[in-house]
Amino acid sequence: MSPSKKRTPVIELKKLTKRFGIGDAAQNALDAVNLRIDKGEFIAIMGPSGCGKTTLLNVIGLLDHADDGEYFLEEVEVNSLSGRQQAKIRSQQIGVVFQNFNLINRLTVLENVALPLTYLGMSRTKRLESASEVLKTFHLQEREYYMPWQLSGGQMQRVAIARALVNKPSIILADEPTGNLDSRSSHVIMEELSLLHRMGNTIIMVTHNPNLTSYATRVINMLDGRVASDVKIAVQMDDIDTAIPIQLNRHTTKAPVEEEIIVVKKKPRKRKKESKS
Amino acid sequence: MRRMLIDHVENAYRNLRSNRGRSLLTTLGIAIGVASVTCILALSDGVSSMINNQISSLDGRLAVVRPGLQNNDPNAYVNPIAQQSFSTSTLTEADVAAIAKIPGIEASVPLMTLTGNLTSATKTVKNYPALATTPDFIKTADIKLEEGEFIGDAKSTTTAVIGSQLSLDLFSTDRPIGQQFTMRGVTFTVTGVIARVDDPVNFNNIDVNNAVIFSLERGKLFHQSRAQIQQIDVLTTTSADLSAISEKVHQALIQTHSGEEDFSVLTGSDINQPTNQLYIAIMQVMAAIAAISLVVGGVGIMNIMLVGVAERTREIGIRKAVGASNGTIVIQFIIESLMMSLLGGALGYFLGYVFAFVISTFLYFAPVFTWVTAAVALGMSITIGVFFGLYPAIKAARKDTIESLRQYH
Repeated sequence: MSPSKKRTPVIELKKLTKRFGIGDAAQNALDAVNLRIDKGEFIAIMGPSGCGKTTLLNVIGLLDHADDGEYFLEEVEVNSLSGRQQAKIRSQQIGVVFQNFNLINRLTVLENVALPLTYLGMSRTKRLESASEVLKTFHLQEREYYMPWQLSGGQMQRVAIARALVNKPSIILADEPTGNLDSRSSHVIMEELSLLHRMGNTIIMVTHNPNLTSYATRVINMLDGRVASDVKIAVQMDDIDTAIPIQLNRHTTKAPVEEEIIVVKKKPRKRKKESKS
Repeated sequence: MRRMLIDHVENAYRNLRSNRGRSLLTTLGIAIGVASVTCILALSDGVSSMINNQISSLDGRLAVVRPGLQNNDPNAYVNPIAQQSFSTSTLTEADVAAIAKIPGIEASVPLMTLTGNLTSATKTVKNYPALATTPDFIKTADIKLEEGEFIGDAKSTTTAVIGSQLSLDLFSTDRPIGQQFTMRGVTFTVTGVIARVDDPVNFNNIDVNNAVIFSLERGKLFHQSRAQIQQIDVLTTTSADLSAISEKVHQALIQTHSGEEDFSVLTGSDINQPTNQLYIAIMQVMAAIAAISLVVGGVGIMNIMLVGVAERTREIGIRKAVGASNGTIVIQFIIESLMMSLLGGALGYFLGYVFAFVISTFLYFAPVFTWVTAAVALGMSITIGVFFGLYPAIKAARKDTIESLRQYH
């Protein structure tokens, strides 16, 4: 009996379909996708642009609605839930990391991380305390009162990951988390994610970068809204404690990680834009 | 939920602070609207309370008889004929005498108002109010003598008491005792000066600061020996029951008027109805016009909230992505607009009273603080805040999460 069978499915998609456009112009971004994701998996979703990776992630994250099919999140059919109930699930069970970080610029790092807790009805002091706690694990506690635009790209993404984690979600969704970062910062971020994975979190990541799939336990390739291939990498949950450090070592020996991170290629342009707003 | 509310308030406060300039200007729009309404209400309440104070200073001992039936329709006061200022009064000297006979009545005072041009040795003043009455008038009206005596002899036809302002206008002195003036060819000697009163608007409808007062006999002589009585002031003895007495007055007058009810016996706040209602009608119209500026202020709030929603599209997307429901977003934006309108309301309430006090220095009455005015200011602010904040808030909440997240701001 394989260990995956013992685990409960966190996510189960049955013939999930999402259409964009109407009439003749209608196109299936997701075409009857069937998918079962177990607890503790680290999934990398790959595929060419426009194949429906991000749409899939948005539907899983309840940011978007499927037109057809069923979506069970921890055995609850969530597509038919009301907006308020979906918001509750977003705030309790799902953490999202975006390619462009999506931090609120007029809030401090600490407040950004504490933001999801607001919608759980926590008091301000408690919120900031737990946010600070999470930031500590990402070695960002000295940056708590910085504004997001004062951080480097890698630091911003770590803040965003901290925010995704602060409400202790059962799944973490990451949409090209390293897309805006250089390779060094990318590795730092990936190490953070694999660390989370080792702690037992379920992670679903969309990426373009084939190198990053080495962190994953399962790689899904998508094409035209369908799952083209679904490969489980031979690293099982039981082996993970030994398997991942090997990978970690590989990267750390190649490129030792420093606290200060080299500025991203797109950074100066973006900084300018952000400081304007 | 309560914590969430505190969060929303903090959040709104921070947003408004970060855009201080435009928040302040929007708030000012509301403040001006609320200020003008508050100012008008405060002043109109001032008029009512002034007259009510005069009546209550007589301690519930006053009843007033007026010709014709009292009409409570405020529209009637816009029509001068309904005010009956030019029609012949139904009250007669016989009525005054009949009232005086009722036990428990201390004074029954007829008021006959005229106007006249007065000429002293040096000056002529035109169109001043004149009052022909009996010596008891001083008991019912809230006046004191500055100097000399009130109409001492009810039969005297050549003596007069004048108001302090008239004294200055006519004789250029505030000590006119013994001086002479003529009115309608009759020469009067001044025997007394009435101390200046601050509230020339009163239930007797006579501005004593500018008036000349002489005996009813003299007034009758001006009118071919017939009294033209506009009002009878009835003062009861201290122990008497006013409502019982006013009922007796009513019955007595029904008899003298051959069973016809062409008069009104008024007590308490009914006495100031005509004056009051005219003022209130005017003030209400003015307040309604002032409220238009409030709507303009509300449109300002809506405008600035729409700008805020557009600017913060991405923030809205982020908040929704991390767990905010549409309802939370609506409340967040409504609280922000409410905060602006309430701040404007508070500022406007304060400014309104400042304006009212400044304006009242040119008027006979002072603005009054009532809970009604405060409640109206508060109610208007809340209504404007919610009403004009609702559309931007709903617009914010309805934004598509994914599209919002794609926006760069």
